[in-house]
Amino acid sequence: MQKSGYKNMWVYIEHDGQTATPVGLELCCEIRKLCDAAGDRLYAVILGDLCETEVEKVKGCGIDGLIFVSGTGYEFFNTDAWANAFAVLSRKYKPSAIFVGGTINGRDFAPRFAVQLDTGCTSDAMELAYDPETGDIQFIEPAVGGKIMAVITVPVMRPQIGTIRPGTFRYAPTGAKENIEVIHEEISYDPDAIRCRHIDFLPDEADPEMDIAHADCIVCVGNGLKDSEHLERYRMLAKLLNGKLGCTRPLYDRGILPYKLQIGQSGVMVKTKLYISFGVSGAVNHTAGVDAEVFVAVDRNPDAQIFRYCDYGIVGDMDEICDEMIEQLQAGKA
Amino acid sequence: MLKILVCVKQVPDVDLVKMDPETGNLIRTGVPTLTNPLDLNALEAAVQVKERYGGVITLITMGPPTAESTLREGLAVGGDNAILITGRPFGGADTLSTSYTIVKAAEMKGSFDLIFCGKESLDGATGQMASQLAERFDAALISCCFSIDKISGGKIRATRTLETGREIVEATLPCLITVEKDNFYGRLPSLKAYLASKTAEITMYSENDIDGLDHEKIGVPGSGTIVPRIYPPELPEPGQIIRTGSSRSDVGTLLALLTEKGSI
Repeated sequence: MQKSGYKNMWVYIEHDGQTATPVGLELCCEIRKLCDAAGDRLYAVILGDLCETEVEKVKGCGIDGLIFVSGTGYEFFNTDAWANAFAVLSRKYKPSAIFVGGTINGRDFAPRFAVQLDTGCTSDAMELAYDPETGDIQFIEPAVGGKIMAVITVPVMRPQIGTIRPGTFRYAPTGAKENIEVIHEEISYDPDAIRCRHIDFLPDEADPEMDIAHADCIVCVGNGLKDSEHLERYRMLAKLLNGKLGCTRPLYDRGILPYKLQIGQSGVMVKTKLYISFGVSGAVNHTAGVDAEVFVAVDRNPDAQIFRYCDYGIVGDMDEICDEMIEQLQAGKA
Repeated sequence: MLKILVCVKQVPDVDLVKMDPETGNLIRTGVPTLTNPLDLNALEAAVQVKERYGGVITLITMGPPTAESTLREGLAVGGDNAILITGRPFGGADTLSTSYTIVKAAEMKGSFDLIFCGKESLDGATGQMASQLAERFDAALISCCFSIDKISGGKIRATRTLETGREIVEATLPCLITVEKDNFYGRLPSLKAYLASKTAEITMYSENDIDGLDHEKIGVPGSGTIVPRIYPPELPEPGQIIRTGSSRSDVGTLLALLTEKGSI
């Protein structure tokens, strides 16, 4: 494979017809910088119909071109038509890289067309860099439970494919360029050939306790928690602080709290005024998901990595410190 | 009778893996291994399907010879037979070459109606294997499966957990499935099955045993990605540790600081 024949970078814009999922816009903003470093053009790829105001938003992210794909097979999301469209487009236009938001759907179809194109696919990079010597993108991400950072590259094959978690990069639009190239492609996929068909969708009932992404205060419990019987005090503390309860991955793995409360790169990315962790070790995968104005850490291990991220830390028994906080807060309110 | 394949992986306990600060190498020596936890949920889903509809479960893994213990663990809770793909040329594989290898080895046992695998592994954690295996098996994909509602007439109906709700889908067989934990917590083996698993025969495949295996497509040569460099995460300077001698005054000091900052 001659990788020099591959040029320009693409971002997939996930949408439901009305709204573009934020991650597509975040990626356009970030990949703009990568394209500038590489001397590449940035294209956004839109499958099926998206309303004009949202297309304008995409244009505002500094793209050089738009590729609209129409045809049959795009009425509801399915990996068959989606993977096929990207494989067909990629063979025709030979992009150097394709970025897809790491939503459930994105993670379902991107690795799939990577196999069709016989190329490398990475997931969950937290930083992206362009290496001018090799012409390769460096996908930088935490590995081995956050113990190390790994630089991953696709050294020979093209395109380089990466899925990136929502919230990893910022939506910071630089404005629309003057001449945006618009390409229309018709790529039809036989609807009868779609192997997994959408039958129905049952939206979750809105539960405010499960919506922690923008809570003003978050009390986060980690693997230091002994068992679910010890959980109640943390709920109470969160309530006293007008905040929400969150957790780290091990607590979800242990079946103590639901996935929607898992904070971190593979869960919810939170932006909050006050974040207080109890019994959280501080793996990068978790801390990467926390954007807090004030970060407080409580843990019994004075060497815990979490103390490197905090503004204020207390070394001690998590339950005891929590109880003490509740007592003093209640006394203060009384 | 459904032919079911369950892909499992033996992983190091990542909590115990350390990085040598001098050399930057990972210290794996003496680190215990375990069966990837999410693979056990996938296996449980397969066992439930087998109990309800009848079927034969084949377990497959690729890894060092020690990965045999992961297969035996699976045989003890419902697996009927097992394949271990092992050999140096398979080492260093990314998901592109691992998915190729697993499918080529599985094809030695014929075709499968259902393929189950964990959502992601504890160590690599790319979460890409399901989708890439589905592509190579030429199968439908149902990821994040919450419940398997019905299997009949060459079709499977299932409920998935998506970001904002549940989706009901219907897929044709063959179909690859990854599951959510909710309904598929793993089970403990019966004593009889446990004992039988200890001596069960396991099919071993080296790179020379798999028909039509392209050696350029396995291990490092077959991989799309490489890891040219690892380094310890950059840590910020530690924050202010409050040490006043007692929990009570530590908390008092903290709350005063937070009040001062307007955080509470």
